[in-house]
Amino acid sequence: MGKELFYYFVYPGFLFIAITGGILSWYDRKITAWLQFRKGPPFLQPFYDFLKLLLVKETILPAKGSKMTFLLAPVLSVTGAMLAGILIMVPATGIDTGFTGDIIVIFYLLTIPSLTYIIGALASGNPLAAVGASREMKLIISYELTFLLAVAAVIMKAGLSISMLDIIALQQDGAFIGSISGILLFVVIILTMQAKLGMVPFDMAEAETEITHGSFIEYSGSAYALIKLTKYIMLFILPVFLCILLLGGFRLDGIHILWSVLKVLGIVLLLTIIRNTNPRVKIAQAMRFFFIWMNLIAIIAIVLILFGF
Amino acid sequence: MNTDFADSGINLFILMAGLLPLAAGLLFLFIPDRFRLFKGIFSLLIATISLCGAGLLFRNTNLPLNSNLLDCLGQDHPETGNMPGNAKSFFSLYIDNLAVLVMLFISIFTFLILIYTLAYAHKRKRLPQFFSLVLLTSGSSMLAVLSDNMILFIAFWGFLGLTLYKIISPDDEASSAAAKKTLILIGASDGIMIMGMAIIWHISGRIDMSLMELPTDSTLSITAFVCLAIGAFTKAGAFPFHSWIPDYTEAAPAPASAYLPASLDKLLGIYFLARICNEIFVLNDWLRLIILILGVTTIIIAVMMALIQHNYKKLLGYHAVSQVGYMVTGIGLGSVLGIAGGLFHMVNHALYKSGLFLVAGSIKTQTDQDKLEKLGGLSRQMPLTFFAALVFALSISGVPPLNGFASKWMIYQGIVDFGHGESLASQLWIVWLALAVIGSALTLASFIKFISGVFLGRQKQELKKAREVSWLMWMPQIILAIICIGFGVFASGWVIPKLFSPVVGEVKFIGFWNSSLISLLILISLILGILTYLIFSVSRFRADDIFLGGETGKEEAGFSSTEFYETIRNFELLKPVYRAAEKKWFDIYDLSKGFVLKISHLFSAAHNGILSNLAFWVLAGLIFMFIFLLL
Repeated sequence: MGKELFYYFVYPGFLFIAITGGILSWYDRKITAWLQFRKGPPFLQPFYDFLKLLLVKETILPAKGSKMTFLLAPVLSVTGAMLAGILIMVPATGIDTGFTGDIIVIFYLLTIPSLTYIIGALASGNPLAAVGASREMKLIISYELTFLLAVAAVIMKAGLSISMLDIIALQQDGAFIGSISGILLFVVIILTMQAKLGMVPFDMAEAETEITHGSFIEYSGSAYALIKLTKYIMLFILPVFLCILLLGGFRLDGIHILWSVLKVLGIVLLLTIIRNTNPRVKIAQAMRFFFIWMNLIAIIAIVLILFGF
Repeated sequence: MNTDFADSGINLFILMAGLLPLAAGLLFLFIPDRFRLFKGIFSLLIATISLCGAGLLFRNTNLPLNSNLLDCLGQDHPETGNMPGNAKSFFSLYIDNLAVLVMLFISIFTFLILIYTLAYAHKRKRLPQFFSLVLLTSGSSMLAVLSDNMILFIAFWGFLGLTLYKIISPDDEASSAAAKKTLILIGASDGIMIMGMAIIWHISGRIDMSLMELPTDSTLSITAFVCLAIGAFTKAGAFPFHSWIPDYTEAAPAPASAYLPASLDKLLGIYFLARICNEIFVLNDWLRLIILILGVTTIIIAVMMALIQHNYKKLLGYHAVSQVGYMVTGIGLGSVLGIAGGLFHMVNHALYKSGLFLVAGSIKTQTDQDKLEKLGGLSRQMPLTFFAALVFALSISGVPPLNGFASKWMIYQGIVDFGHGESLASQLWIVWLALAVIGSALTLASFIKFISGVFLGRQKQELKKAREVSWLMWMPQIILAIICIGFGVFASGWVIPKLFSPVVGEVKFIGFWNSSLISLLILISLILGILTYLIFSVSRFRADDIFLGGETGKEEAGFSSTEFYETIRNFELLKPVYRAAEKKWFDIYDLSKGFVLKISHLFSAAHNGILSNLAFWVLAGLIFMFIFLLL
C-alpha cells in the first residue's frame, strides 16, 4: 500500500505530473510569445501563478449559488485528472505496480475534469458560466464519439487488446503512426486533444473575449488554483496518452530518454501552433466539424485498418 | 432425509417471499383507504418478511432447482389428493441463482418504495389502494420469476400488467391516456407471448421453460423467439416497444414510476430476455445481430429524446428506456462477460433509476412543479436529496468509480471481446462500442441538464419555501445512493464474484480496473483537497454576488438549463428527425392506433345509416354466407 501511495503521490504520480505539466505550460506560453513576437514569461511563471492563487489571493464564493458543490468541483477535477494520469503514466514508465487500468477506464477518467468544470460552473449560478457549461457539454458530446472511434481503431490495430502494456509492446517493432491509418488517427486525436484541453479553436466554453472565461468566471483563489493544476496535469498526460496510442510509448534508458522528451515536446508544440494560428469557432461549427469531418476521417482510418493499411 | 429438511426451508422462504405479499395484497384490497396508515405499516411489515425470505433464499447455496408451488402450500401427497391428472405439473417452479438474485432485488425495492410511500401517500391524497397494489406486484413478480411452467408464468406476468395499469391511479385526461396506452401495449405483448408459448409447445411438446435449448433454425422457432422477445422488450421498454414508458412516468405518481417502470419491469423484462436468449433458445448469428441493433438503437434514440425534454419525469422516463439498450446489448452478446454485464447493469439501473424517481417525487411534493425551467437552486434547501440525486446522475452517466461505470465497463469489454468472432455482428463490434459510448456521453449531457435545472443555478424567489423532505422520504434515497456507491467501489472485488458469478459462471475480465484501490485514492484525494482549502485559504473565503461584467444580476438574466441543447435540436441533420419524433411517427402505439382507426373508418363509411344501404349489406352478407356454406 505504501508503495502505491508513493507511486500515486510522487513518481510517476502527482508531484511528477504536476511539475512536468507546469513546465509544459511554460513551454506552451513561451512558444506562444515567440509566435507573437513577445518575450514570454520566466521559467517558473506557472508555479508562481499557482502558488499565488493558492496562498495569497482571496477566494470569492457565489453568495446565491451552491457553495459546497462549487468548491468541491475543482477538487474532483484534480482527482479525476490524477487518476487518469497515474493509469497512463504507470505503463508509460514501465513500472510494475497494483495500478492497472485499461484504455476504456482511462477514456472515461479523462472526461471527469470537463464534467467537474461544468458542475462547478453551474453551481455558481452565473448565467455566463451556464453558457460556458452548456458549450463545454456540447463540445464533450461532439468529440467523445470521435475520440472513441480513434481509440477503438487503436484497439483494432492492437488485435483487440485493451491493455496499455499490450499496445506499447506491439509497437516495439514499429509505431502505429507508420501507416496511413496511423497518420489519420494522429490528426484526429490531436484535434480531439485540442478540444479536450479547451485550447483555441475549441475554447468556446471559456471564450475570454466573449463570455469572460465562461465556465471559470466565478472561480478565484485556491479553487481556481486547483483548476489551473488540473490544466497543467491534462497538458502533460494527454500527450503521453497519444504517445502510447500511436508513437510507441517511451523507453527510459540511455538516448531513448531524449526521444521520449522530444515526443512530448513535439506534440505540445503542435498543439500550441494550432492554437496560435486559428480563430475560435462557434459551438455549432465545432459540432459539425467533429460530427461530420473528424468522424469521417476516423471511419476512413478504421476501414483502412480493416484492409491492412 | 436431509433433503426434506432443506426443501421445506426453501418452501417456507418462497412462501414468505412470494405468496405472503400476494395474499396480503389481496386481503388489503378489501380494507378501505381510510386506514391508510394501518395498511402502510402492515405492508411494510410484510415487505420486511418478504425481504427476509428472499434474503434467506439467496443465502441458500444448494438450491433444489426444481420445485413446485403446491408443495410450498403444504400439499405434499398430490398422487392421492384430488388433483386431476398431472395438474401439479402446471405449478412447477425452477429455482436457480438468477431467479433468486432477481427475487432479492424485487424485495429490496418493494421494501424501500413502501418506506417512501408511507410519507408520500400522507402528503398526497391520491394513490388509492397503492399499498395493496405494491404487495400484489411484488408477490406476483417473484412468483413469475420462479415459475417454470409457462402457463403459470404468463398468469403472473399478465397480472403484473393489470397492477401496472391500476397503480397509475388516473385522475385526469393525460394520465388516463397514459394508463390506457400502457395497458394496450403491455396487454398486446402478453397476447403475443402466449402465441410464442403455444408455438414452443407445438414444436417441443413441452410447457416448462428450463433446459429447453431450442435451436433457432426453423421459421417456427424463430417466430416463437420473436414473440417471446416482444414480451420481454415491451416489459423492459426497449425500442420499438418503449413508447409507454415516457408517457407513464410523466403521468404516474413518482413512487409508482420508481417501483414499476424503473425497477421491477426492468428486472422482469431483462430476466425473461436472459432466459429466452440463453436457456429457452440457442440464438443464431442473425438474431444476435438484430438484438444488438435494437439494443444500440434503444440507447441512442431514447437518450436523444431525453435531451430535449422539459418535464423532468419524462426525461427520466426516456432514460429508463435508454438504459435498457445497454442491458439488451450485453445479453445479446451472449458471452459470459456480456451477460454478466447486462445483468449487473439491470440491477444498477434499477438502483439508480428508482432512486431518481424517488428524487423526482420529493421535488414534486416540495415544489409542485413539473417543468425544469420552473425549478433551480434547490441544492441548498434539499441537501440530502441533492446528494442522492448527484450520485444517481453520475452513476447513470457512467462516471467512475460508481456502479453505472462498472457495469458499462463490463459491457464494453464484452463488446471488444465479441469482436474476436467471425460473424457479421462480431465484425461490427466497433459500431456497437461507439454507439454505446456516445449514448453514455449523451446521458451525461441530459443529466447535467436535470441536475443543474433542479438543484444548481440561482435560487428562484418562489421556491424559497421549499424544504428538505421528511426522513421517511430521504432515507430510501440515501440508502439507494449508498448501495450505488458500494456496488461501484466493490464491483471488481466483491459484487461481481459474489452476486453475478454464481448466475453466469466465472467472469474473466479482459480489461483492468481495480475499483477498490481507485476508490480509496479518490477518498484520499478528496480529503487532501478539502484539507488544502482548510489549511491554505479558508481564512480568505468571502461570499459575494456573481460577476456579470459590471451589470447587476437580475432574476430574469438566467440561462435556463432547458436551453442548453437547442443547438443539437437545431442541428440540420437532426432537426427533421426530432420533428417527426414529436409528431409520434416512431411510436408503435400511435402507428398501430392510426392503422386500426383507418380500417374502422373504412367500415363505418359503409354504415352510413341509410336504410337501403343497410338492407344491401344484410343481403350481401347473407349471399356470402350462403355461398360459404354451400362450398
